[in-house]
Amino acid sequence: MITTHQLPEEAFTALARGDGDPAVVRHLSDVQRSKHLMLLHDIAAGAEGAGPGSPEIAAFRAGWELLVKVQEADPDAFAWVSGLPHIGAWAHDCLERKDRGLLPDLGYLAAAAVAAAVRAGVQFELDVPVKDGRVLLPGLGYFHGLGAGSWVRLRGDAERLTVGALTEAPRTALVPDGGSGDPVQHWQGTHAARAVADGRTWTVLLETGDRYLDRFALPMSAALTAKEVTSWQECIQSAWEVLVRHHGWAAGSIAAGVSVIIPLTAHGDTDLDSATTPAAFGAIATSLPPDPVIMAEILVHEFQHLKLCGLEDIAPLTEPSDERVYAPWRPDPRPVGGLLQGVYAHLGMARFWAAQRHLETDPDDILRAQVMFERWRSMIEPVTATLLRTGRLTQPGARFVALLRDQGQRLESEVVPADVSAVARKVALDHRLTWQLRHTAIDATAVTDLATAYQAGEPRSGRLLPEGRIEEDTRTVDPTTRSRLLNMRFLEPRRYSELSDAGLPGLSAADRLLLSGQASRAVRAYRDQISAAPEPLAEAWTGLALAIHLLGQTPFLPAFDTGLPLMFDVHACLAARGIRSDPLELASWLG
Amino acid sequence: MTLPDQALKAAIPDLRNVPLDRLAELGDSVLAESIALYRQRLLDSGVPVYRFNSGI
Repeated sequence: MITTHQLPEEAFTALARGDGDPAVVRHLSDVQRSKHLMLLHDIAAGAEGAGPGSPEIAAFRAGWELLVKVQEADPDAFAWVSGLPHIGAWAHDCLERKDRGLLPDLGYLAAAAVAAAVRAGVQFELDVPVKDGRVLLPGLGYFHGLGAGSWVRLRGDAERLTVGALTEAPRTALVPDGGSGDPVQHWQGTHAARAVADGRTWTVLLETGDRYLDRFALPMSAALTAKEVTSWQECIQSAWEVLVRHHGWAAGSIAAGVSVIIPLTAHGDTDLDSATTPAAFGAIATSLPPDPVIMAEILVHEFQHLKLCGLEDIAPLTEPSDERVYAPWRPDPRPVGGLLQGVYAHLGMARFWAAQRHLETDPDDILRAQVMFERWRSMIEPVTATLLRTGRLTQPGARFVALLRDQGQRLESEVVPADVSAVARKVALDHRLTWQLRHTAIDATAVTDLATAYQAGEPRSGRLLPEGRIEEDTRTVDPTTRSRLLNMRFLEPRRYSELSDAGLPGLSAADRLLLSGQASRAVRAYRDQISAAPEPLAEAWTGLALAIHLLGQTPFLPAFDTGLPLMFDVHACLAARGIRSDPLELASWLG
Repeated sequence: MTLPDQALKAAIPDLRNVPLDRLAELGDSVLAESIALYRQRLLDSGVPVYRFNSGI
């Protein structure tokens, strides 16, 4: 009798609070193994009767039969291969190709089966695909130097593996490359990092050879030089020390759940990107961070995503919906599921920086840690409120979000210095106001009517203001130097100081006043800038809204808090008629 | 809030100890239903990638 996976209530609660010990993570990993086997079964069903005589089909069948033998002989080796993120990524690609009527890459299964058989010492003989002169054994490494052929016969037993006429090697030498094994001719073990801190070990692959894991915005690093491998190993070691010594709630579960790091190639020095996908549970992709604390932060952030991906394979937490909402960490409108993923990841970050801010010793690092903590903890409440308001959460989803919100509220009691709050608030406001102007559409007829009434000097009272609707990129609002500098103030304080000393080049006079904390003068300067310009200036409007917020309670605040897109459109409509309107008078009129 | 005191049941069957060559025998029952549900999820949301830029 077949059973389904079940997640105990206490495990669900722990995950919702951002926790989840290694046992909970292993539970999630077990579900992934079953998911991979489920997908494998579907791929096999599709392969039956397809293209008889094709080497791909033959390789798939041979791989399948070999896996049956491995499962019987060595269940641990079978569990290892069926749990690899490589298999998940490949299986998802197969499913997608199959559903589009295309032939999946079926030969990959033969190579995966060989990897398991090599670990198990099971005898076999089969053909595996050759790509670019290489045979990849997922999770172990690859043979190279195979020339232009498409297939090669592999033979293995308890002792050795033979690769066509190219080479043969002892089975036990075909392992990932941690830097300590004897070299094997034509074999490159997948690079690995073994991090140890206070007696706790985390071993993780640095995968650069499996094309199914090359699925992120930045490209997977094609090959790492010895120096690059060392940089990654040192970064992972140092990050592991940070996690073990100061973030114990995260360290154990990361070691239990993350088996692969995918190094990404950044386009530039400041291009720091990381990513995860539910197709590859256990893998985190990232470009090389500048320091171990950032690497530790990335691991915490991305592992939150992986935990939630794993949980959603047990019970979906959101319902399908086209609705898009504001996410305080993204430039674009997000679906409800994406918002939940994001707030869960940022809960992890808030907890990370809550501890880290007490550990830093350099004033710049303290500032960065304090602002990051304040920025991310303060958005948990509004984002969870948005999630609950959408009505798009499943029953477990609503319970999950309520627990997550509780955890966020616990962080609210922690004290941060007032100047830190001010920096974080400015950054958050700038982000929200820019997003509002960029993505909130207003009915054009209503805007025209309001502009006409304003032009005629009629009172606004009695006229209903139109509701905004979220519409991606409804106005062009370019990223501003002001926004970059607001972030630079705490992310790169030294560079910010240098630019400050140089008079903040590239900023308008109004922006300079705003950044120097002179909100009243900034309001006047933005007002003059907007009133004098023949064209609507989106960046000046967001600056004005920001400066109005910083003034505190003024009669203009309500209009600039939620009505910025409407004011901008009415102003633009008047400008198109050749009328230059005063933004504060317009704000008073629109009320 | 009252928490239900029961485990969350997954839509995915526990296949870890099912012999691979016997998976086909389950094909028309639980497994087919689970695959259909999973496929529907992929149709609804695709295979998302969660991306984070630490510089923001």
